[in-house]
Order: sequence, then C-alpha cells, then structure tokens
Amino acid sequence: MNTALVVGVVASSILSGTSLLYATLGELVGERAGIVNLGLEGILLIGAATGFALSALTGNPYVGLIAAAFAGAAVNLIFAYLVVERRANQLATGLCLMFFGSGMSALIGRPFVGALIGGLPRLHLPGLAANGIGMRISSYDILVYLGVPTAGLIWWLLFRTRWGLVLRAVGENPASAFAAGYRPASLQYQALALAGFMGGIAGAHISIAVTQTWAEGMTGGRGFIAIALVIFARWNPFLAIAGALLFGGAEALQLQLQAAGADVSPFLMNMVPYLLTLLVLVVWGWNRQAVAPAALGRTFFGVE
Amino acid sequence: MKRLMALLTVCAALALFAMGPAAAEDAPLTVGAIYVGSVNDYGYNRAMKDGLEEMKKSIPGLKLIEAENVPETAESERIMEGMIQQGAKLIFATSFGHQQFAFNLAKTHPDVVFEHAGGWMQAPNFGNFFGATQSAWYPMGVAAGKMTKSNTLGFVVGVPIGYAIGNVNAFEMGARSVNPNAVTRVVVTGGWSDKAKEAVAANALIDQGADVVTMHVDSPATIIQTAEGRGVYSIGFQSTEARTLAPKGWLTGLGFTWGQFMTATAKSVIAGTFKPAMVRLGLGQGMMAVAPFGPAVSPDVQALVTASAEKIGAGFNPFTGPVTDNNGVVRIKDGESWGGDKMGNFDWYVEGVIGKAK
Amino acid sequence: MQRSAALCLETTLAAASRFVLVALIAFGAFAALLTVAGMDPLKAYLDTIRYVFGNAYGFSELLVRMIPLLLTAVAAALPSRMGLINVGGEGQLYMGAWLATAGALALADQPAFILLPALTVLGFVGGGLWALIAGGLRALRLVNETISTLLLNYIAPMIVSFFIFGPWRDPQSSSYPQSSAFADAARLPSFMHTHINAGLAYALVCLVLYWWLMTRTRWGLDMRAIGGNPEAARQLGLPVFGYILVVMFAAGGVAGLAGMVEVSAVQGRLVSELSPGYGFMGFLVAWLAGNSAGGIVVMAFLFAFISSVGDILQITQGLPFAVVNILMAAILFIVLGWRPAGSSPR
Repeated sequence: MNTALVVGVVASSILSGTSLLYATLGELVGERAGIVNLGLEGILLIGAATGFALSALTGNPYVGLIAAAFAGAAVNLIFAYLVVERRANQLATGLCLMFFGSGMSALIGRPFVGALIGGLPRLHLPGLAANGIGMRISSYDILVYLGVPTAGLIWWLLFRTRWGLVLRAVGENPASAFAAGYRPASLQYQALALAGFMGGIAGAHISIAVTQTWAEGMTGGRGFIAIALVIFARWNPFLAIAGALLFGGAEALQLQLQAAGADVSPFLMNMVPYLLTLLVLVVWGWNRQAVAPAALGRTFFGVE
Repeated sequence: MKRLMALLTVCAALALFAMGPAAAEDAPLTVGAIYVGSVNDYGYNRAMKDGLEEMKKSIPGLKLIEAENVPETAESERIMEGMIQQGAKLIFATSFGHQQFAFNLAKTHPDVVFEHAGGWMQAPNFGNFFGATQSAWYPMGVAAGKMTKSNTLGFVVGVPIGYAIGNVNAFEMGARSVNPNAVTRVVVTGGWSDKAKEAVAANALIDQGADVVTMHVDSPATIIQTAEGRGVYSIGFQSTEARTLAPKGWLTGLGFTWGQFMTATAKSVIAGTFKPAMVRLGLGQGMMAVAPFGPAVSPDVQALVTASAEKIGAGFNPFTGPVTDNNGVVRIKDGESWGGDKMGNFDWYVEGVIGKAK
Repeated sequence: MQRSAALCLETTLAAASRFVLVALIAFGAFAALLTVAGMDPLKAYLDTIRYVFGNAYGFSELLVRMIPLLLTAVAAALPSRMGLINVGGEGQLYMGAWLATAGALALADQPAFILLPALTVLGFVGGGLWALIAGGLRALRLVNETISTLLLNYIAPMIVSFFIFGPWRDPQSSSYPQSSAFADAARLPSFMHTHINAGLAYALVCLVLYWWLMTRTRWGLDMRAIGGNPEAARQLGLPVFGYILVVMFAAGGVAGLAGMVEVSAVQGRLVSELSPGYGFMGFLVAWLAGNSAGGIVVMAFLFAFISSVGDILQITQGLPFAVVNILMAAILFIVLGWRPAGSSPR
C-alpha cells in the first residue's frame, strides 16, 4: 500500500465522483417530488454533447457549462410535461427519454468530434504545498469544489425551506398536498427543471473537465448509476456524497491498483457497489424501513 | 374487393420502388470502409481515413462509401452488406473485431474483395494487413529510455491482445537497450476507446512515477492531453497528427501510413489481379512511420532514435533470444527468433514490465 | 361469437389507424429534424423501404432484428399482467447467454441433437434464475422488483466480462476477450442463406404460449386478478407468493432465451457486447403493445424497421446510427402524450 496509490485513488475518486454527485443530487430532488426518471442517462448525454459543442464553438468552457445545464433542464421539462401533465407512465417515459438523449447527443456532438477544447481550468487551492501530493489533491475544476456545497444547498432547500417541505409533501402524498392548497404539478415541474439542470452539469463535467472530448455514449451508464445511488443514499443529499465517492472510487481503484502492479479483476471490483446497494436494500426491507417518498413513481413502489 | 385492389396497388407501387433505377456504374471501383470509431480521433481511425483518402486521390473517379462508429458485432456485417448492395467491390474492415463478420461475408460474396486490418484469417477473396508494429515500438522505447528521469515509463493498453502485449515488450526492450534501469508499468482499460478510463489510467501511471506515457488504444488524444496537463512526456501511436495535442511534452510517435498499400490493393482489384496475402510491413517498408520529434528531444537523442528505426527497417528483430519474461522464465531461447507470424501469441511480458499479461 | 369478432376487428382497426397517424407525425418530425441537420430524410426513408421490402436480404435482416425484441417484450409483458415491472431484460439476457455458453463449452463434443436442446434449457434457466432473485426479493416483500431488476442489469454484463477475460478466454484469437467459438453442433441453424435463425421459432412459440396462457387458461385469469388487486386475490386464496416466483422465473427465462440465441446463432461465442439495449427496447415494445401478443409483433416490427432506417442513414448519409433513436423516442413521446390524462395502460 504505497502513498502514491492512496493519493491517486482519492484524487481519482473525487474527479470521477463529481459528475455522479451532481446527477444523483438532481435525481434525488426529482424523486423527493415523487417522480423517478429512468432517462437520466439521456440528460447526461445531452449535457455532455451540448457542453462540449458550445465550449468548442465559443472557446469558453464556462459558456459550455451553462449551456449544458440549460439544455438538460429544457429536455427534462419535456419529460416533466409527459409525466406530470399527461400522466404518462414514468418508467416508459424515462426509457424513452434515454433513447432520445442518446440520439440527440449523437446529432449535436457529431460536428465536434475531435475538436480540441481548453476544458474547465484547474484551480489551485492557495496555501497547499506545491509538491506532488498537495498538488494532486488540490487542483480541480470549479465543479469539484462546488460539489459538497451543492449537496449542502440541496439539503438546505429540501429540509430547511418551505419550498422543500411542500415538495416532500407532494412526494409523499400529492392528494393531501393538493387538498392543503398547494399545486403538486407546479412543484413537480420545478423539481424536474432543477434535476435536469444538474443532470446537464453532470454530463458536461465528463466532456469538458474529465476527458475534454466528446464521443457517443461517453457517459457510460452514469445516469443509471445515479439512480441506484439515490436509493443507496436513502434520498439524503449528504449520503449521496459518500455514495458518489464509493461508486466513483470503484472504477478508479482497479485502474490505480493495476498501475501499482497489483493483480485485480476489474469486473469483480466494479460489481461491489451494486452488490452493496442491493444488500443495503435487502436489509432495509427486512427492517421494514420506509425511507422512500411514499408516492414515488406511483406504480414504482406498489402498495403492498 | 375494393380493399383487395387497393392493397394490390400499394404492393405494386412498393415493388416498383424496390426495383429502383439501376445505379449507373461509371466509377472504376466502389470501395466500402468501416471504422470502429470516429475518424476525428487523432489516432487509429484517422490513419485509416488518411490512407483511404490517398487511395481515392490516386484513382480518379473512385467512389468511397464510409461508415464510422461501426461496432465490432454482427451489426458490422449488416453495414458491410449494405455497402455491397450499393455496389462496393472492395471492402476495408479496419478494426480487429470486424474480422469474423467480414469473413462471413467473404464466403457469401466471392466476387467482392475484403481486406481486414490486424487479424489472421485468409481466403481467396480475403486478405489481411497491418503494420509490423511490434518491432517499430523498439525505437520508441529508445526515445523513452533516454528521456525518462524517473526510470518509470507508463503504457496504457486498451485490450490485452497478443499484438498489444508484443508492442509493450518491444517498447521495454528498446528502453532497456539504452537505460538498463527503465521499467514500464502497464494499465489495461478493457476497451479500445473508453476515454474516461483512459484519463484515470494515465493519471494512475503518472501517480506511480511514470514521466513518459504512451499507449495502445484507438485514440491517443485523451492520454496525451492528460500527460500534457500533468507535465509529463508522451509518445503517440496510430497517427502522427497527435503531436499537435502536446506542444511541450511530445517526444515522438508511431503512425500508420496505409495509403500506399490501399492504392495498390484497389488497383489490383480493378485490374483483376488481386491475390490474398498476409501483409505485415514495418518501418522503412511503407506502412509505418516515425513521427517528427518534439521540442524537448535533443539532437543526439533524435539521432539515436533515428538510427534505431533504421536498424529495424533494415531487418533487426528485437525478439531474438535469449529473452526472459517478468517472472524470470526464459521465453525465447538463445539463438531463436520470433518472427512476424508469432506476434499475436504474446501472453507474457518481458523483464522490466510491471503488469500481468494473463 | 361473430359480433364480438367484428367488434374486435373494429377496435383493432381504430387503434391501428390512430397508431399510423402517430407514426406519420413522428416520421415527419424526424424528417424535419434531419432536414435542419442538412440531411435528406425522404431519400433515407425511400432507401429503407427499398432495402427492407424490395430486397430479400434487407427483409431477412429485419426479421433477425425482431427476434430478440419479441422475446424481451414477452419477458416484460408477462409479469406486467400481474402488476410486476420487469426492466431487467438486459441482465436476464446476459445470464441466459452465460449459462448457455457454460453448457456449450462443457459439452462441446456432443452432437447437435443433444447440444441444442441443452443450450436452450440452459439459456432459459440462466435468465430465469437471475429474474428469480428479483422475484424472490419481491415475494418476500424485501425489495421492489423494479429496482432490483434494474440493479441486476448492471451486474450481469460484469459477470460475463469476468469470464471472457478470464477462465473462458479464447486461446485461439490472440487473447482477444471473447470465449472460444462454439462448435458447429452448438450453433442454432439458419434458414438458407439468410441470418434468420431458429430463434425466430423460439420467439413465435413463446408468443403463442403467452397468448394462450393469458387468454385461454385459468392461470392467466388468476394473474390478471392478482394484477388488478393483490390483496383481494390473496384473500380469495390465490397463492400470490408462488405466482410471483413462477412468473418472474418464466419471464427471465424468455429473456434468457434471447441471450442464448445471441450467442448460439448470431455471434457463435460469448462476447462482451451482446445487446444494444434489447431488454429496454423489449420493455417499450410490450408497453406500446398494451401487452397484447399481436401488438408485440407489430411493435417489434416497427422498432426493427426503425433500426433499418438507422443503418441506411449511417451508410448513405454518414449519420451516426444513434441518431435514429430520436425517431424511436419521437414515436414514444407522442404515444405517451396522446393518452388522455388520468388513464394509464396496464
């Protein structure tokens, strides 16, 4: 166990986990309002393609980032219209959104494949040593630094504001929220817009910051991982941080271990986070803990 | 009854559509090409595209049909079949994983010629070609061995096929020939083109002390950019264009120059003189080239590398015994030599490589 | 009897014409998008029709594409009748392929009349057991099956990759990650010179059995009762627990057959990329079809047709294949949005 390995894994986990964190937080907000979005992967892809395209066009990665966020929000509003207004089946609509995102991102990204962008600049925390270790874990792009504060912001929004209270009420029982004079539909729209915004950011992080490139399908299933992560995190933003590090770390860990000369099977290692999630779910089920928003997906968690 | 007539009319109309106008063939040849990725990858696919463009320029009127991002699955067979239906008489299946599917089609289309890159299958209308990459990596190792200060080199491998392992071996042997303390660490990402993993892999190698990073993946772009971002040297592969990605850290690289071979093949198909062959040409024989050197490489190192490349071009085979693997077992005995036909059989790394091949 | 048949035909025609309208709108919207992107959609559509209908190869390829979709659609439709949501078709497909490969490698010397049935059974069992995990967790009221089947989708391909990079790696093809090739006796036969393989027979048998089960047997009636009101069904004495297990196992088994067909007929070996999302597409096919057997055939045909459009777009117009997903999504969006607010399909 050498220091370089530990430092490397921590640094890689933070970098890989950031986009997972944003995606998870966004999905978390949506699910707290009662909507499950299986098409999150599509939102991430659109964010990645749009972010990269705008960065290449304007030469400014921040412009790309903002564009990606709004693109994600806009597309998620289509989803919102279908599930909230038209009462469409959430799962089918979500999968449909996934296909849409896959195709749309391919179309948007196509003219920009191979373009070179500057990427989100790395910002160095002042004061930390300029040597190897300090440098390695203290120079990230702005999205990484904003990750934990964003989780805190989401927590505050959900649990310390009126808005969040009503949102959670809608997720638990839309009928009684309606009876109390609130408009569940409006809140669900707002939640999904926010979720799309964050999903777009999550996708853009991959293309603008981590790889600085665009390739079809490059988000590699992170949208689906985020859905599992929301469950793992018990719909709590702070636990989402731990989950994002765990899942992001699993991928990084096996590559780092290879570089250090250890013999690991990447596949067995990659399975661990999912097995863990499943295990955790079984344990909750055993303990009869109801942590999910009661009206999530309506048909998603059936009434037993 | 009326409905039946209507139905028949519709069918007739569709049938007319189906017959369609016969495509007037005044092109001397229609060539189809499938790429496993995008041609804008500064890498493998770009090199293939460059070669095909050269072929197209050399033969006036030649028609080229291309499809990018063709996966290495049965889907590729559909795409190639579609190209044949459009009149292609010569198909370049440019990625390793397309082999079986191109071969299937060769059996059902004896009048179409297939050229596959990087495999071993052959048939009367199926040929195989690639650069003799393994020995070409030797001078790259020389460059790395001379330029490294930490004596640790990093190699990112996409899929650990025998040919890729052979590349790593030649690289390490070249490095050792000028720097007996050089070691090469290997990280396998599991796919030819997983950019997120490549970034992590490159970072991991650099974390472990590598100050020269190179790769065998489809596109060197992500790895080179990561290396450049962390201030280490990089050596490119697949396409010499990649040097634009690392203005400071680029040392040198290997690129494929397919144009000559592709033009000759197309001409032979037009003339009806095509003969299938297993073509493996290396440095100095027209399929591979050493990229221009970067600003960090001093003239005497340049001279060393160039001399080494010329030696390879003249026939020097680095895989001449005795060669020991990284577990201490002698794999190539004294006096033995592994030729081109054995390059796909590597399942062991030479001494000095830190990694597991199996 | 005659009157209900006529009524049946009328409602089917009404539904069909509504659907044709939806399809036209979607194709039109997609064409508009392509035109904006600088492509020639009309030529693409015509090329596709020519390719698919005017061409034995094109048509046969369309049928080949339908095979896995038919199977995974049944895999989603069957549990859906009982109110269970199975989005795990992907994982079940992979595990069916995995177990079938285990059989093919272990029994490589056997003749075809032993191997093929064995592989079929193994494919079914592999997918079935995988789905049974989710089914068991749901029957025990521990974990909702939507989540568990989704999670299991991630794990199955990793298990496959582990084996093809490791114990089952083909020594012949210079360490390329894939299993050894199946012996000829382990390959499902194809018809004449096309790729249409016996998997089509499997799919049709499953469809017929599904239809027969749901409409002609008491079990089908029981399943729909449970789907409508599980509590009442339980009180009526229906063994809900048992039904959940059996139905999930059967559904997973059908998806597992799709996996077995992929490795035995299409690929000839176990590879890491077996499915471009057949499991999810099957779910959508079943959903669009309202879980009816006839509807599944029609919808699978539509999806396969759209995939052919994708091929043509790629070859003749240089567009990435993925772009055709927009067309697929467009149709779905319209259908999803069409239904009057308040009604949701079973």
